[in-house]
Amino acid sequence: MIRLSGRFRSALIIGGQGIRARKTRTLLSMVSLFLGVMAVVVVQVGAETAKNARLADLELHMGKDGTRQTYLPGNADTIQISQDTLKGRKDAVAVSTTQAIIGEPGVNPVNPGAAPFDQPGGGQYAGPGGGDMYCDPRGYCQPMKAAGDAPAVPVPGKAIELSLNALTGDIRQFRPFRPVSGQWLDFTSEPSLSPRIVINLEAAKGFTRHQVPAEMRVEGATANPTPRIIGVIDDGNPQPTAYTRADELQNWVPRASNNGDYGPGLQLMLAPTASDVEQLLRIRLTASGIPAEQIHFETIQARKDIAKELALIRWIFLGMAGLVLLIGVAGILNVGLATVGERVEEFALRRAVGTSRSLLAGIVLAETLLTGLLTAAAAIGLSALGLTAISALFGDREQFLQDLVFPWQAGAAGVIAGLVAGLLGGLIPAIRAARIPIATVMRA
Amino acid sequence: MTALLELHGVTKTLKGQKAPRTILDGTDLTVDGGESVAIVGRSGSGKSTLLSLIGLFDRPDGGQYLLDGRDITRLPERKAAALRSAEFGFVFQRFFLLKHLTAAQNVAMALVNGQGWLPRRKRKARTMAALDRVGIAHLAKHRPARLSGGEQQRVAIARALVREPRLLLADEPTGALDTETGNLVIEVLHAATDRGCGLILVTHDWDHANKMQRVLRLSDGKLQPATDTRSVPR
Repeated sequence: MIRLSGRFRSALIIGGQGIRARKTRTLLSMVSLFLGVMAVVVVQVGAETAKNARLADLELHMGKDGTRQTYLPGNADTIQISQDTLKGRKDAVAVSTTQAIIGEPGVNPVNPGAAPFDQPGGGQYAGPGGGDMYCDPRGYCQPMKAAGDAPAVPVPGKAIELSLNALTGDIRQFRPFRPVSGQWLDFTSEPSLSPRIVINLEAAKGFTRHQVPAEMRVEGATANPTPRIIGVIDDGNPQPTAYTRADELQNWVPRASNNGDYGPGLQLMLAPTASDVEQLLRIRLTASGIPAEQIHFETIQARKDIAKELALIRWIFLGMAGLVLLIGVAGILNVGLATVGERVEEFALRRAVGTSRSLLAGIVLAETLLTGLLTAAAAIGLSALGLTAISALFGDREQFLQDLVFPWQAGAAGVIAGLVAGLLGGLIPAIRAARIPIATVMRA
Repeated sequence: MTALLELHGVTKTLKGQKAPRTILDGTDLTVDGGESVAIVGRSGSGKSTLLSLIGLFDRPDGGQYLLDGRDITRLPERKAAALRSAEFGFVFQRFFLLKHLTAAQNVAMALVNGQGWLPRRKRKARTMAALDRVGIAHLAKHRPARLSGGEQQRVAIARALVREPRLLLADEPTGALDTETGNLVIEVLHAATDRGCGLILVTHDWDHANKMQRVLRLSDGKLQPATDTRSVPR
């Protein structure tokens, strides 16, 4: 061990002396290698940044990796069972979705069907039986309710339609919404008769454009409550959406009246560790008459999905970076061979004073590896600086460019690229150095 | 008592571009510890080849090489390197100093060769002691370009002595020096034998050869006792 350590240290000391003695050559080697290592680092930075941006986007929509989720019919039984089972649980959340219209009563909202405000649409269903159906821009169609001689579709007015999500707990542990302003829902306080709602960016856009009275119409509600908008979040959803506490909504919408005819129904999100809740839910829901095969929990695998998506692109770019790196390797090799040719006497002398062939090869490799590491350090440093500059300059234009952090994977890739290039470029010179015959040289 | 070095019937044939040439043809040599031996002979007689075999730079084609009674004729390269480091010190006609290193660093290179590890402080102490032995400790931080020929050769001798070798091999160490400096260098080399270190000096200079305890002449591939005829051709 001590012997190995001595050899290693000797190689480093002598390699360091060699680099100091030939600064210009080392610099030239570094220049030829720099672009290659830089390309590898930049590809990694780009890939990791794209992955993180895509992952953050996916997590907003789908939920965090490992989350267990299921969708159930949004009828009174499932909602009641789910909400009762999940009550007081911090590792599971039930989300029942319905539509709500905030604004003047009895008017058609400016965005029927909770359509995005820049994509107005919706209208009468033109297909078979179209006269009896009304479709929103998302494609949800429902029978029109004609009352007497009144028009089937209400007259346009000052109202905004939202997709309203009633939550039994803090959903942000599963879907990391980005706070924009105000605050998030407080699930620890007593439920209020004035439902507190947090809206997303698209809904906020609607409320900024349209001045509407604070009256909320919800299907099945006994009366129209007055909501309080307490915050704005970015949930990545292009549709105007609001989030509220399930118990606050239930003050106005009795469970029995929620027939689940509207929207996707009930979504349950569970932490990976909440297997007991999952089991209990299965038992209770099955007991209530829901067929067991309809209760299907799935695990969110956002990271895996992205990995597949980005792997091909990453490998293509890494291949290109590898080619550039090879040019750098050729540069090191060229300089290394020339240097060994010049240092024949030095190597013969070192062997004469007891340096073994393997250590001599180690010295040459130490020099090229140190050169590779120095190059990697320069490339990593420059990339990190560049990333910081890009984040500072363009962060306000593109959200994914905000708070960019230099990924450790890029640093590791740079170091590995530098070491591999040093190894490949130094191998042949090292072998040549080790083969220098002492007797011939020292007699000359 | 076992001799420090014994060569028995050593042969060596050089295979160059022309026909193979036998350089050593059954050469015998015995050197005891602390003994100084001069080897003289015509140019091309094989003196340097003999020295390179003794110094384990090369291997003999035949014969036997014993060091302290141990047969090292066919020693693997790694063990040969370890022996070169531990037992031998080399001084060459050309000083072979590395110009990018200081005098002290040139001396210390014999200590940083992977054969054991000395902490920096001990390395420095031994380096300075070796430089002091050859009288140039004050030039430790000078690079070779700033040293005279004699000083450079003394740095080379310090490098040879720094590991306290048991045998010094000097191949025409005064060949590139003027007479006065050459005498000084021989004195420094000879002083090493006072500490029990053997010395084999290859030289053309009879004045230097006569300062050794024994003078041998290499002729026709064999070593024979020589007398000062002052006719040894250069």
